[in-house]
Amino acid sequence: MAATAAAVITRPIAPEQASLWSDAWRRLRRNRLALAGVIYLTFVLIIALVAIVWTPYSTFRVGVGIPYSGPSSQHWFGVDGLGRDTLSRLMAGAQVSLIVGVGTQVLVLAIGVPIGLAAGYFRGLFDQVVSFLINLFYGIPDLLVALILVFLLGPSLTNIIIAIAVTRWMDMARLVRGQTLSLREREFVEAARAAGAKPAKILVGHILPNALGPIIIQATFGIPAAILFEAFLSFLGLGVPPPTPTWGGMAAEGIVTIRISPAMVIAPSIALSLTLMAFNFLGDGLRDALDPRGRR
Amino acid sequence: MFTRGTLIYIAQRLVLILLAVLGVSSLVFLGIHRLPGDALFSEHLHGDQYQQTLHHYGLDRPLWVQYVSFLAGMLHGDLGESLVNRGVPITPIVVREMSVSAEIGFVALLFTIGVGMLFGVVAAIRQNTWTDYLLSTASVVGYSMPNFVIATFLILVFGIWLDNLTQGTFYFQIGWPGRYGNIGAIWLPAFALGFPYASIVARLTRASMLEVIRQDYVRTARAKGLRESVIMIRHALRNALIPVITILGPLVIGIITGGVVIENIFGIPGLGKEFANSILNRDYNIVIGVFTGYAALVGLANLGVDLLYVVIDPRIRY
Repeated sequence: MAATAAAVITRPIAPEQASLWSDAWRRLRRNRLALAGVIYLTFVLIIALVAIVWTPYSTFRVGVGIPYSGPSSQHWFGVDGLGRDTLSRLMAGAQVSLIVGVGTQVLVLAIGVPIGLAAGYFRGLFDQVVSFLINLFYGIPDLLVALILVFLLGPSLTNIIIAIAVTRWMDMARLVRGQTLSLREREFVEAARAAGAKPAKILVGHILPNALGPIIIQATFGIPAAILFEAFLSFLGLGVPPPTPTWGGMAAEGIVTIRISPAMVIAPSIALSLTLMAFNFLGDGLRDALDPRGRR
Repeated sequence: MFTRGTLIYIAQRLVLILLAVLGVSSLVFLGIHRLPGDALFSEHLHGDQYQQTLHHYGLDRPLWVQYVSFLAGMLHGDLGESLVNRGVPITPIVVREMSVSAEIGFVALLFTIGVGMLFGVVAAIRQNTWTDYLLSTASVVGYSMPNFVIATFLILVFGIWLDNLTQGTFYFQIGWPGRYGNIGAIWLPAFALGFPYASIVARLTRASMLEVIRQDYVRTARAKGLRESVIMIRHALRNALIPVITILGPLVIGIITGGVVIENIFGIPGLGKEFANSILNRDYNIVIGVFTGYAALVGLANLGVDLLYVVIDPRIRY
């Protein structure tokens, strides 16, 4: 009985769902800014992968060029104060930014989605506790919490990812909770419940797929926020410790000598800004493509 | 406007702020004292002298005794003395720097709201023209640029290129004349600090203006033959403001935390600069003091925003 009910329900829904995603993809492709974002991010990803095996000069080797010298044919983006090649360090810095951005969002998804689903579906005391925590975290400044955490845990790539995720999990939890609250009242969830599906099955099989669009959008906007955060921390000297190159750290080193060697600060600043912009354009495009209410 | 209920509400909030400040400073205090290493340990200080210095700061006592005396000091508004500059009390420093940070933050906030709303309204009125596209794109660019990147480019343009171009007649002097900045010193840091948030305000204002100018009462106002400027400002903008007001809280927090970076770039003697310096100097007592100052600043700013809601929206009562 349950099986036939589920079969009857899934059959008309399945093509509808497929058309939502292909529809979204079609609309995303037509959004030129979002497409430019995708292309640029692919480029950054390739650069970061290439930097694992090859950079024009060694990332750490000092004295490969004249310190503080500007762009030249040997060193496209100039040389930093220790005589390290800026282009090589920019390429390696892309790895750090992408790892921090994506790593943080993976952690945020892992914390926020289950908490949001459970709070929205089961309501009650758990929901109240979660809502209180979410409001509490919104009330305290994220940068200061992250600074305290990194300061106490010690700066390292893992600790920075943890610190950023701790200050940003509630965006995802709040979103998923809200989605779950409205989805759990819908007919198809009621039908699944009537067919005897267990809460876990309903949450994973019915509610989560329908909340996936907003979750993807939120995660896409979360990545640049995390990258920005890491750049802030590095800029303040609490980021990934040197000599690992990070864009924020490079900008911080460069700003001291901005009069002598502007390239040292301009290059990482532009790399960082373009990456953040690309993610934001992509996020805007995804939102227009996936949000049915925004359909024009 | 401020009824008796509001005053009670303010009193309650002040108590909460005090508790939050105590909580934050306790967390940082206990966290720092768990860190390995020793703030005073150096090659210049050993043997008896080292023991005496430890004793001077009470660092030779058990942790809970130190914590109790720290809490007692906090309740008297005493944050102890600097570990690096012996005998220098921290509270006056932190209070002074708080006021400097508040000054730059306030100017940045004014800039954020003013410019953000202006651009948002213009973009909404000229919807789907090149003005709109330009402003909308500029706002995505704006909030994608970290404030230190904006600050860097502003310094390059106004501090260095303009200096070279005009042979030093017009340029931006980085630095802070006296205790508080004047308008000549503050406009560039305030711009760098406020620009990302101005972009967000512009986007929000544009969206809510577009919604509001399609409402019936705006059409009625037009039908009455009111001038377009009166309709836009008195009828549309006032209602379009409400969503903007709701983000004022996060905005203020963003500006306060963003100030940490901006103060360091422009050499502004506020809490943010002290924060970076004290960590570099391992002056842990000042680190605790700075976090305490930030907790107080954020709490007071949030209270100010909530009271502003009462002023702007008469429906809100506490």
